[in-house]
Amino acid sequence: MRRRHFFLGLTGLAGCTGSGKPRLNVINYSDYIARETLTGFEREFGVELRYSAVIEGSEETIARTMSGNSGWDVVFPENRLVQPMREMGLLGRLEPARLPNLSHLAGLFRKPAWDPAIEWSAPYLWSCCGILAGEPAGELSRWQDLWQPRYRGKITMLDEPSEVFAACLKILGYSINTDSPEQLRRAQELALEQKQVLRAYLNTEVRDQVVAGDVWAAQLWQGSAQLSIDQAPELRFVHPAEGYSLYCDCVGVLAESRRRELAHEFINYLYRPEVARANSAASRALSPCATGNETVLERGEWFQTASGSTQRLRDRLWTEIKSA
Amino acid sequence: MSLRRWFLLPAWLVTTGLFWAPMGIVLAYSLLTRGPYGGQSLPLSLESYQRFFDPLYGEILLRSFWIAVETTVLCLVLGFPLAWFISRSGPRRGMYLQLVMLPFWTSFLVRTYAWVFLLRDTGLFNSVLLALGWIEQPLPLLYNHGAVLVGLVYCSLPLAVLPIYSTLERLDYSLVEAAADLGATPWETFTRVVIPVSAPGLRTAAFLVYVPALGTYLTSDLLGGGSTILIGNLVQNQFTTARDWPFGAAASLILMVVVLAGLALVARHREDIL
Repeated sequence: MRRRHFFLGLTGLAGCTGSGKPRLNVINYSDYIARETLTGFEREFGVELRYSAVIEGSEETIARTMSGNSGWDVVFPENRLVQPMREMGLLGRLEPARLPNLSHLAGLFRKPAWDPAIEWSAPYLWSCCGILAGEPAGELSRWQDLWQPRYRGKITMLDEPSEVFAACLKILGYSINTDSPEQLRRAQELALEQKQVLRAYLNTEVRDQVVAGDVWAAQLWQGSAQLSIDQAPELRFVHPAEGYSLYCDCVGVLAESRRRELAHEFINYLYRPEVARANSAASRALSPCATGNETVLERGEWFQTASGSTQRLRDRLWTEIKSA
Repeated sequence: MSLRRWFLLPAWLVTTGLFWAPMGIVLAYSLLTRGPYGGQSLPLSLESYQRFFDPLYGEILLRSFWIAVETTVLCLVLGFPLAWFISRSGPRRGMYLQLVMLPFWTSFLVRTYAWVFLLRDTGLFNSVLLALGWIEQPLPLLYNHGAVLVGLVYCSLPLAVLPIYSTLERLDYSLVEAAADLGATPWETFTRVVIPVSAPGLRTAAFLVYVPALGTYLTSDLLGGGSTILIGNLVQNQFTTARDWPFGAAASLILMVVVLAGLALVARHREDIL
């Protein structure tokens, strides 16, 4: 989920203090869970939750747990990082018997592509990346529209190479996970062309400016966009016609955890229908337990982990775009 | 062990634990190879350093140097008169100094973010200018080189004022009067008496502003709108999205060596640096 929650993360929740109760240590984005989920779990199970905020995205979760003795129990990696974390031996195997509430998962999320047997992680919240548009933007339905000269200085893209490449690759009709240097170069050409009309590369901080009308349209994650639409109902979220990226934040137990039982209780608690609803409502991301989102899923494509050489090429091309 | 040594112990612990040890880790990382999913692994290699010698990164380094130079010059030009004014304000000096340091009481991030609110299309400056009828369309104040420069100068200015003030405060004002008595014009007094006497403060101010400005990344992200890339952003990207820690470590060490070399070059001739 990268830097979506950068500023919120800086004001992250403070850890709890010792009181003799069993304590479960959880890392997630700071506002990516309903407050009452945390307090409700603590009350019901007579435990203490230490909830620490990730600032720089899922990569930070890996960095902070890589040592294998980080002291954390429950983590929320993005779907594309489940496999790497598993291969690095960071994730422990989930015990289905302790997670009866997973039966509430909607059909498509019972066999997620990145972990079909829900062996290592369960889908927690998911969303997609599209366009948050204000009224001045007028007719807007495709990524390609964000290249129009009439938007000069009034549109922004995310400051995330993977998302900017995803939009360009979709316009060209390629997969967002392509390894082909040639396809990536063509996507880069498109991005360079768009930079001429772009106001800036901004993440969630763009929201105020869309609400204020400074920015007419912005590439943004659906959950963040929804928070702005709550504030300013005249805004709308566009699922671009060419297709778009999907991501799912998952929940798993670290292999190093010494409180596996409690960790499973917590995960199971997250899938109680009312808890799942509350978390989705608080974060405005979509719950994998909810139905009715099939159309959103259909045209989207899940992010996968890029290979080392592709990652390096993408970074180089991105640095060139930024330098131009 | 003599008492003097014991007093040095805390400083020694701080520099070893908080400076040399982390630098050692950075050095070690820079010599390793990128792991498949970030992090680092064997074998040892100099590849990260070789990769940096590329016109693309050279250009980024030059751009960072240039903006740091601009920031430094502006801070000195703006800071000197302010420091002069404070040093000549008698009993109110303390209050003025407090005011200069006031911004440090809030977070750097919050202050930089405040500039976004001032400079944006519906921000204070544009709203006032529009209301006065001086402009028809909001001026594009945000997300350009000027905005980054404003942010950097704003945040560094106190760092420039304080050392200049400390030399000006000790300036013997009778020297200025003597220069005038001996027929120097105000300009000559300024360039041939005041500037040489306050040179140590100016040099310290220049370094205090220049070095952090060189490594900036938040200001260029927030006020530059990510449309350009400085060496600080490059390093940050390597540790986050690019997941290439060895290259990030190498880039930050190269930056550090270049800065230290510059400092050493000047410090050899001048004993009064910092």
